[in-house]
Amino acid sequence: MTVTSDTAGSHATATRGGTATGRSVHRSKSPGAPARTRVRTGRLVLYTVLVVITGLFLGPFGWLILTGLKTSAETAAAPVRWLPGDFQWHNFADAFNLIDFLGYARNSLIIAFVYATLVTLSSAWVGYGFARLDAPGRKTLFGVLLGSMMLPQMITLLPTYLIFARLGMVDTYWPWVLWGLAATPYLVFLFRQFFAGLPRELEEAAIVDGCGYATIFWRIFLPQSWPVLSASFVIAFTWTWGDYIAPQLLLSTDRSTLAVAVMSTYVTTAGTPVTNLQAAASVMYVVPILLIFLVAQRGFVAGMSTSGLK
Amino acid sequence: MTVDQIPAPAGATAPGRGGRAGGDRPRTSMTTRRHRAFYMFASPWIIGFLLLTIVPMAYALWLSLTTYDGISPHWRFIGLANYRELFADSVTWDALGRAGLFAVTSVPLSIVAGLGLAVLVNRPIRARGLFRTLLYLPAVVPPVGAGLAFKSLFDQNSGAANGVLNIFGIDALGWLADPYARYVLLMTVLWAAGNVMIISLAGLQDVPRELHEAARIDGAGAWRTFRSITVPLLSPVLLFQTVTGVIASVQTIMPLLLAAEPTTGGVTAIPQSNYMYMMHVFAEYFALGRYGYASALLWVLFVLILIVTGLIFKFTSGVVFYNVDPEAKK
Repeated sequence: MTVTSDTAGSHATATRGGTATGRSVHRSKSPGAPARTRVRTGRLVLYTVLVVITGLFLGPFGWLILTGLKTSAETAAAPVRWLPGDFQWHNFADAFNLIDFLGYARNSLIIAFVYATLVTLSSAWVGYGFARLDAPGRKTLFGVLLGSMMLPQMITLLPTYLIFARLGMVDTYWPWVLWGLAATPYLVFLFRQFFAGLPRELEEAAIVDGCGYATIFWRIFLPQSWPVLSASFVIAFTWTWGDYIAPQLLLSTDRSTLAVAVMSTYVTTAGTPVTNLQAAASVMYVVPILLIFLVAQRGFVAGMSTSGLK
Repeated sequence: MTVDQIPAPAGATAPGRGGRAGGDRPRTSMTTRRHRAFYMFASPWIIGFLLLTIVPMAYALWLSLTTYDGISPHWRFIGLANYRELFADSVTWDALGRAGLFAVTSVPLSIVAGLGLAVLVNRPIRARGLFRTLLYLPAVVPPVGAGLAFKSLFDQNSGAANGVLNIFGIDALGWLADPYARYVLLMTVLWAAGNVMIISLAGLQDVPRELHEAARIDGAGAWRTFRSITVPLLSPVLLFQTVTGVIASVQTIMPLLLAAEPTTGGVTAIPQSNYMYMMHVFAEYFALGRYGYASALLWVLFVLILIVTGLIFKFTSGVVFYNVDPEAKK
């Protein structure tokens, strides 16, 4: 929140100086009171627009929370009940107990942790190669890497699923291990950009000392890259936690992730969804990711923008 | 890994066994070492790309020429019959048309929305960081959470959307059913416009301040500055957003998550207006188990995406303005 102090200052001056006395030196060109009102109305409109848009953006999630606090009668009532008559806080406990919430959460956690750890390390490894080493074919390979970012993953996922099924890897976590070991172009690119920006001298002394590149990567480059490592981990963790289709395809319901469980297990024996408990469960499913994001925001955003830009 | 740590075994790596030609030899072995090291570092991705992308794609290409359904042992090679069937099937064309319509509406809308938000929160305002965070937050919400939120928001009986309509005396709409389901889908995309916002914001902050000042001195207004300076400088970012947006829109599973029965088997129950190409693939794959035919559908989509991406790059090559040579930063 480093609001450029200059603007904030002159703004404050303008507001305080309601009478024409408190005019600041900066505003020597200011045409007078009408213009100042126009600036103030402009800012008022700006803030109103921002607040309304932000409200709209938070609305769906707020509604999900409200739905999670209603009775089932209220979630089916027409016309809408805007607020729950009594806040049914126990819905959250019920949602937790109705299914093996903790078990599914553990599955999600294992898969996301394993994948994020492996893919971060493998992508850093590959990214180092593209950034600091040279060989015939490097440019072509880098082109293929960038191009493969545009491959729709859904197209490869379906035949991959058939292959994994043939290899007996359905209902195991092996697919995520393999995907993790294989590095992913998006994160390779992130690490490549970071490593390419580090000074040459960093490895030169080590090379003279006869260190291998693996040692240089592990001892010198990796310790330098904590911000990128954590950003990469958080991004990959968020993907896997949020992924619905791969676990839905590859895992049976018992071994599946929270995403699948929240989507498909909150139904009565007759098959109708238990809306309020499902909403409560999905809040509990989403909130950890939002918290992780809020904590790691800086690196996360930097990582997302790097991959989109340069 | 250990191989590399042994300090250059003399003679073993260098092909030229001849006399030790002064300082020449270590240099060659250094270069060879670097080349080998590069492939050692690149190998996880190369192997992974071959095994987890190329092989599945080739496998799908082979299956697309067969009647394979995963159950019947008597599947056989049928040449291009699957392709002939899918091109003759109006369901394919309708699904493709809906996917195309979704792409050409959702991508420009979310780019305009994201860019607009970026411009708003790039201004010197109070609590700027807070606004940025809150506007970006929906983009972090996993698809399952987004799907359930929009399902309850647009529920015909108890949804807030119909509640608002009710205040104005308008009858409740079946938002999640046929004519309207596409608009709900579109809103889920716009809800995540924070993605475009955050990337455009990084681009906006890279626009040199002097350019804006120069434009102001030349008497350009805010809109003119935006159109003639900001947008051209952001054009690589916008191009990237367009391409990735189109690809993401084609493979979205949101229609499935908004459906009454969101399992890969229940895909056939999706309202027509959200029954897009990918959903058609899912239906053939999982509901009907026609792996051969569905693989042909996937390959057609793959080729189409290549063509569309190529066209986007071709038609924007004169318009997109690259400020820096990407390879220059070394």
